[in-house]
Amino acid sequence: MTAEAQALKARKRYKARLYYKRYWTLYAMLALPVIYFVIFKYIPMTYLQIAFKDFSITKSAWEMDWAGNNGFEYFIKAFSDRDFFYALRNTLMLNLLGLALGFPAPILLALVLNELPYKRFKKITQTVAYMPHFLSWIIISGLALQLFATRFGLVNTVLRNMGFESIQFLDKPTNWVWTYIFVGIWQSVGWNAIIYLAALTGINPELYEAAAVDGASRMRRIWHVTLPGLRSTIIVLLILRMGYIVASDFDQPYAMSNTLVTSVSNVLSVFVYNRGIKGTQKSLAAAVGLFQSVVGVIFVIGTNQIAKRFGERGLW
Amino acid sequence: MKKILAFLVSTLILVSVMAPLALAEDAGFVDGKFTETRTITVALFDRNTDGAIVGDNVYTDFIKEGMLDTYNVNVEFEITPRWTEGEDIATYLAAGTAADVSYSYNGPIDTYFQQDAILDLAPLLEEYAADLTDLTDFLGTNITWKQDPYTGAINAIPARRMNIARINTFVRKDWLDALGLEVPTTTQEFEDMLIAFRDNAELLLGDDADMMVPFAMTEDVGWEANNILYSFVADVDTTDKINYIYGYDDRQFLLPGIKEGVRLLNKWYNEGLILQDFSLYTAGDETVGNLMKAGYVGAFEANWDNPYRNGEESVSYMLQQAQGDDAIFIAIDPFQNDAGLTKKVNYQSNGIYIFFPSTNTEPLASLLYLNWMAKFENRFFLQTGVEGINFEYTEDGTLKAIAAEAGRYKMISSNNGDLTMIINGLDLGDVEKTSAAMALGYANVDPELIKNAYAVALTNGVSYSNISLGTVAAEDGMSEVLKEKRNETLNTSIVASVEDFDAVFDAGMADYLSSGGQAIIDERMEKYTTAFGE
Amino acid sequence: MIKAKSSKIGDGIVVFLCVLLILLCFLPVWNVFVRSLSSPQSLIKNDVYLWPKEIDFTAYSLVLKDSKYNWSLAWTAMLTVGCTVLSMTMTILCAYPLIFDKLKGRKIINSFILITMYFSAGTIPNYLLFKDLGLINSPFVLAIPFTLSVFNMIIMRTFLQNIPESLRESAEIDGANPVRILISIYLPLSTSVIATLSLFYAVGRWNGYSDALFFMPQNKTYYPIQLLLYFIIQSKESVEAATQEGFSTPGASDAIKAAAVMFATIPILMVYPWLQRYFITGVTLGAMKG
Repeated sequence: MTAEAQALKARKRYKARLYYKRYWTLYAMLALPVIYFVIFKYIPMTYLQIAFKDFSITKSAWEMDWAGNNGFEYFIKAFSDRDFFYALRNTLMLNLLGLALGFPAPILLALVLNELPYKRFKKITQTVAYMPHFLSWIIISGLALQLFATRFGLVNTVLRNMGFESIQFLDKPTNWVWTYIFVGIWQSVGWNAIIYLAALTGINPELYEAAAVDGASRMRRIWHVTLPGLRSTIIVLLILRMGYIVASDFDQPYAMSNTLVTSVSNVLSVFVYNRGIKGTQKSLAAAVGLFQSVVGVIFVIGTNQIAKRFGERGLW
Repeated sequence: MKKILAFLVSTLILVSVMAPLALAEDAGFVDGKFTETRTITVALFDRNTDGAIVGDNVYTDFIKEGMLDTYNVNVEFEITPRWTEGEDIATYLAAGTAADVSYSYNGPIDTYFQQDAILDLAPLLEEYAADLTDLTDFLGTNITWKQDPYTGAINAIPARRMNIARINTFVRKDWLDALGLEVPTTTQEFEDMLIAFRDNAELLLGDDADMMVPFAMTEDVGWEANNILYSFVADVDTTDKINYIYGYDDRQFLLPGIKEGVRLLNKWYNEGLILQDFSLYTAGDETVGNLMKAGYVGAFEANWDNPYRNGEESVSYMLQQAQGDDAIFIAIDPFQNDAGLTKKVNYQSNGIYIFFPSTNTEPLASLLYLNWMAKFENRFFLQTGVEGINFEYTEDGTLKAIAAEAGRYKMISSNNGDLTMIINGLDLGDVEKTSAAMALGYANVDPELIKNAYAVALTNGVSYSNISLGTVAAEDGMSEVLKEKRNETLNTSIVASVEDFDAVFDAGMADYLSSGGQAIIDERMEKYTTAFGE
Repeated sequence: MIKAKSSKIGDGIVVFLCVLLILLCFLPVWNVFVRSLSSPQSLIKNDVYLWPKEIDFTAYSLVLKDSKYNWSLAWTAMLTVGCTVLSMTMTILCAYPLIFDKLKGRKIINSFILITMYFSAGTIPNYLLFKDLGLINSPFVLAIPFTLSVFNMIIMRTFLQNIPESLRESAEIDGANPVRILISIYLPLSTSVIATLSLFYAVGRWNGYSDALFFMPQNKTYYPIQLLLYFIIQSKESVEAATQEGFSTPGASDAIKAAAVMFATIPILMVYPWLQRYFITGVTLGAMKG
């Protein structure tokens, strides 16, 4: 080896030593979380293989027989079930609507709260706004019935007293979807706004003052100072949320559904629950779950790449 | 880590499969008793009953002492929350932690058996028949209820249901009197009565006239209108065969003729005779119950004793609090079928299913537990309790239950149902005595109402015989899905307009059938004709 | 400075919107509260909306006197505090190293962690794992398996990344090791995000009941308060069983249900106002220093 090459090697080794000397604490810090992930996330994940196998209560995942069709039998079974596609359609529909209306809502709320001149009032509004988040869906669906039932619901009683016709909020599929979205937003907007409010405190007040001095109106200040300050938070949350585009919540649809609207309320989680948990088709349930996860990851990667194109840092 | 886990689990499986084979001949069992003390675990439901101590009371003591004394078996109870029974069983079986004696109403027992998660009881029942006479005598035909006709295997034993009364129709007697109406004896008279309720709302409810609900239902229409619908089934079609092929759905949805019954409900709905929001309320929702308690409901159908249950919280008692002592619901029997008979479906004699997981290493001891429970003196004590604390005798010698104080004597559930799993319903040994005691068993309710309701529920009752032709493969995993579709079809067709009824009902039924309903019918039809011919 | 008129109108709109929001969010919760104070008869008539009818404190006295509620409340509070501390520690331990661009293996670790957010094994595999670890029916199953939320970790990491690197670099030049940099620079600037994430963890733990339901069903002593509540309130499944059994146990009355909901909810509602003072500007302090 030439003297130069040796010197290069030595320098590399020196750099490496320096690197580890400086950064070993970081690896030490990461050790605990990584162990945690291996034990509690990755080991149970080996059970995901039951999506490709015939589930049996008594056998371990490794022993179960492989399902027909090269293991894809349950995927085929799911995809050829008409109800699966209705469930998928409903999931996408509710999620996209929820995204379109529900994602901006907390941002708007945070902006509105930020503009409140009275500090006390702001504090009160914040606290009250996130109260609905604490009610379980069982309670909320009970409340929704009390309010929106066609015959005995409070809203319709008031409408009839005022001379209007009752509105069937929960009986007709289309109406139900809007009610569902609205109630979902009501439940989560105050809570979701908290992150944005925290992020808003990180915006330099000097920027506001500078804008005011330049004569910017309220709306322009929001557009040029507030929103950019929230930008990275918004992007991160949006990317994360895209991963859940085919995932489906269970509590809300299950609690709020009724037999007249199953054509729109049966989402994938309910599909899985009825077949996999109450029924015994655990392999089918696992197959659908795996499908959801894979699609979710694809969406997350896609959105992340798009975000990077726009110069954002992205998730990784 | 994975390999170790896999190894451990497979060893466990191997051992648990071997164990029952090894114990087929139990050498430690001499003269009806074990030479060494054995231990079994028994599942026990926890209902969060106020004042009762679930795992530790005079009744659990009684069982433990008795089992130790009689068979030298130590009993330990494994307590599980009642309402999660269905999902939990699957988890416990998968993990191998299910109790030796486990129970389930609707669980997929056949699937568990196919996957070798539960034991076949037939060999033991045969081998030790002499020691299990109490059990076999008491259960009678129930023992072979789930016996596979081809292999002879028995994977579960149903408890014996003593009381087969199922569904009754209730009506406000005081409203009938107020409007000068006789108790309806035909479907038409019933309909006229509902119309009368609707049109006389101010007279009956005064200021609350807009709260009038002539006929109340919840989303489980198949249950809450069962007697009405069943009256549309032709009398000749109420056979065991038809029930086997088309009646597997617990709401009689597929029986021939039901559609016309649903059409009648649709007509009533469109005339404002049925609670408008019924499909929004699940059967457990208090709203409908509250409407009854407040006095706004004229008629409804439910379990045979529904308004009388739960003492001070009963519909009957609270109704009287709200509207006065004259306000009572009585059971009536107007729905005649084409032969003029008010036929209604009664329960069969099977109750909850008892089975042993394959991790059970003491199946004989577990069967003896059931046998011990079947002995009259044992279950009598468990069901009635201690005289003076849990019950007393009235002047004419009828047994009357009294509410015990909180503590070790308090029963978790009525007649200790969770401990006496082998029997569903009270049994005092004598049918007369039992009915009399039952009538007195409802606090805050006039016993005459109970007697009447019970008699009506059993009048023209049809209790189908058990036909066991083995597992129906097409049913595997489908029950929840089909249940949903059934409810959807019934409800959407009832709320549809009269013109749209046929289209909606037919579409829903077609969906039900194509989603697996037809496959089940076909398979059952085939099984039946193979076994019995046409 | 005199406020411009358009600004005043803007203020007015903002206040109006906030009032509307307050009403929408508060009234339903208020309704539950009011129901807990009403008599059973008035609840049955479905008469109670904005004001308690026939005020009746029995529901509350029953709930407050019952030691199992009081104990569960105290236990849940202790559990929540403990879990929050554990979770925040884990979150910081995980997020902080990942902001160092120079860290080798950073990308792999990032993907490794992110994947777990979308692929999860499900209840039965978890149950089997916990059983092998001896966690079933142990209170530790409430604290350990779900302690680190990837979502929260990403939020923390993003926030830390937004703190100007110049601060870190100058400290590194001065010879400080990463731990010191964390303690003296990043933590003080992160009070608002730490407060936020603590709130998320605390609320998640306080409101959560499904893990206790699946993995600790037989250990009643350590039931979190929401699980207790769940058994009191839910009725959807129970009727099917009651139908089969031929007898039913009386559920709790409407008033008790409402009182129990209040009892279980009010404590956690109070946490946010208390945490609000930590939502101060962190970055500005840093900018001034620099």
